[in-house]
Amino acid sequence: MATYKRPSALMPMSTGYCPGCLHALATRLVADVIEELNQQQNAINVISVGCSALNLYSWSGDDIGAAHGRAPAVATGIKRCLPERLVFTYQGDGDLAAIGLAEIMSAANRGENFTVIFANNQTYGMTGGQMAPTTLVGQKSTTTPFGRDPMTTGYPLKMCELISVLEAPVFVARYALNSPKGVMDAKKGIKKAFELQMAGKGFTFIELLTNCPTNWGMSPLDTLDYMTGNTIPYFKPGVYKDKEGDK
Amino acid sequence: MKQSFVFSGSGGQGIMSAGITLAQTAIVMGKHSTFLPEYGPEQRGGSAKCTVIISDADIISPLPKKCDILVAMNEQAYSKFINDVKEGGTVVVNSSRVNETEREDVKTVSVPVDDVALELGNVKVANTVLIGALIGATGIVSKEAVIASLEEKFKEKSPQIMQLNIAAIEKGITLGKGADK
Amino acid sequence: MEKRFMKGCEAIAEAAVRGGCRFFAGYPITPQNEIPEYLSRRLPEVGGAFVQGESEVASINMVYGASATGTRALTSSSGPGISLKAEGISYLASAQLPAVIVNISRGGPGLGSIQPAQSDYLQATKALGHGGFRAMVFAPASLQEAVDLTYNAWEYAERDRGPVVILMDGCLGAIMEEVELPEMKELSYTNTEDWCLARVNGREESHMITPILPELALEMLNKFKGMTYKMWEMSDVKVEEYMLEDAEYVVVAYGIAARVAKEAINTLREQGYKVGMIRPITLYPFPKASLDNLDYSKVKGIIDIEMTIPAQMRDDIELQVKERCPVHEYGRSGGVLLDDEGVYEAIGQIVKGGA
Repeated sequence: MATYKRPSALMPMSTGYCPGCLHALATRLVADVIEELNQQQNAINVISVGCSALNLYSWSGDDIGAAHGRAPAVATGIKRCLPERLVFTYQGDGDLAAIGLAEIMSAANRGENFTVIFANNQTYGMTGGQMAPTTLVGQKSTTTPFGRDPMTTGYPLKMCELISVLEAPVFVARYALNSPKGVMDAKKGIKKAFELQMAGKGFTFIELLTNCPTNWGMSPLDTLDYMTGNTIPYFKPGVYKDKEGDK
Repeated sequence: MKQSFVFSGSGGQGIMSAGITLAQTAIVMGKHSTFLPEYGPEQRGGSAKCTVIISDADIISPLPKKCDILVAMNEQAYSKFINDVKEGGTVVVNSSRVNETEREDVKTVSVPVDDVALELGNVKVANTVLIGALIGATGIVSKEAVIASLEEKFKEKSPQIMQLNIAAIEKGITLGKGADK
Repeated sequence: MEKRFMKGCEAIAEAAVRGGCRFFAGYPITPQNEIPEYLSRRLPEVGGAFVQGESEVASINMVYGASATGTRALTSSSGPGISLKAEGISYLASAQLPAVIVNISRGGPGLGSIQPAQSDYLQATKALGHGGFRAMVFAPASLQEAVDLTYNAWEYAERDRGPVVILMDGCLGAIMEEVELPEMKELSYTNTEDWCLARVNGREESHMITPILPELALEMLNKFKGMTYKMWEMSDVKVEEYMLEDAEYVVVAYGIAARVAKEAINTLREQGYKVGMIRPITLYPFPKASLDNLDYSKVKGIIDIEMTIPAQMRDDIELQVKERCPVHEYGRSGGVLLDDEGVYEAIGQIVKGGA
């Protein structure tokens, strides 16, 4: 019988995430996969800026904090020096898709052999709910008080779609964490990405659709329904690129 | 004894290469030398200038304003730098491209290095003819030493290229010795 | 010892490799491109890694990552690029990661000029990034000195766990001189194992490297670094003092400016004028004592010579002179080079005029 327990890749402490935040689940999924692959001693987590930085203290393995948006550059430096280590970045959407757009696209384009875990909750959570590059059209934020207007702020950036058109990346996929099936699929995707990296195949990118009850101003359960009705129709889950699988 | 040389011309005329060859030859001969290039922002065809200092003692400053010897590969370079030559200095001009000479208080050595290079079979050795002319006019380094540094420079090229460069040096030295006017 | 006639940038690059550098990331900018170009060939020969970053910002953050693994990491740039690297340099200081940053400086501000200038003294010594930190700044005046300082730069960076800057103008970056190259250093990770990410030498426990700290921990780090900077002033100042014993006029100049000034001083000495020079080799820590301890009953004036206008080192000089004699300055700027005749005239005018 399976026991629900803390994965050994995490410290016995609270994560610091708000109640109902799917960041905590995303972190746990990564930690589970690391344990299943027996990589606790080998993994290096490159942590970004924003709510994802809350991971810094809960991680039991090697980890390093990067400047805002720069995690893929930091991971490049680490992986080039320690090619045998399992290296991954854990980044939010403001970090990855706005201030760090150059770093993520360039690392993906170079085909750096590490994995990016991208938690997309359509908001800047840590700084108080400002518009993110992924905020949906019409969605309210503290800097789009009347809802995101595409006439002045453009449209939400679809990172999986962008990265999948590059030649080098080997596995690019998006999962929604608002349903048990989404969670199970996401775990499989993370595992596949890590296995590809360990086989030296190249750049892997996992986008996880998450929520932000605090800044969306909803109960955790309502956020899950909101995701079904609004987020998922725009950010469609699926495998966008699977170079090895296509062979 | 410390002497400063300015090599000038346009990009693609082998100015930098000539300067480096002279500096390296001086070092082969146990002297001290510095080579300082100055580039225009253009990758090709802009102006090119380099300063070489050769000295028996350690070189303190590599930035003299006035030079003892000016090498001018074209008209533009000549008029730009002719007033930087010290009184009593030497100017080696590529008379294939420079017609006018302005100063009477310097020794002018005119050698048509482009034409000589073409006669030898390849305009690319014009800068080697020029080094030869400079050596012929000033005796700053020996013929043997410059050939040794050219051999080092062209060691991965064909023997024909080396032969051509040796011929260019020799022709340049002869012309440089006799071109004093 | 191996002697080679080398270009400044290439001499620095080779000295870095021999000093243990095994990672470089950088972005093209004139006048330092020969450093990345050289290392793109050289580093793979010694099992190192070279990455051409997509930006200056990315490059310094790659260095941050590489350094975290205990690898000796280098980046190089020129003023405009160093401005962009400011973020990463501050993070290196915060996360206590060693790295060497080479600035082959050019005219400024802004895009300025691609021609050589000493326009980044203030940036290097006082404003490398936000948050209040310092880095040791080495300013070589010859390629031999550049080789020697670069070769040993990581010893300081690792001892004090932070960035070290080598500041050299574009003139010395482009010049060719003969240098003696030191032997390749034998690398060991024993001095990095207690902080780097890699489990080296059988270390089992994991490590966290963080540029963010709880308030009290950060205050403790700030205090500790403050003490480190004081220690530098006591034990790590490098300076050349030239003909100071009887000097009535003292030139203060670093890097290329010091070489041009020394030429002028020699000429003036031959004419019987008592001129000497203080040449800071470490711009930070600044050689305060050399200036403070001058015999001001004899010294009639200090002359600050820099290849930038207005002179940037002047504030540091005046803090030590304490109005005990006049401070003069002379320079060229914007990519216009100092030259022997101009510097001789400028110093000569002050010395001969008795100003």
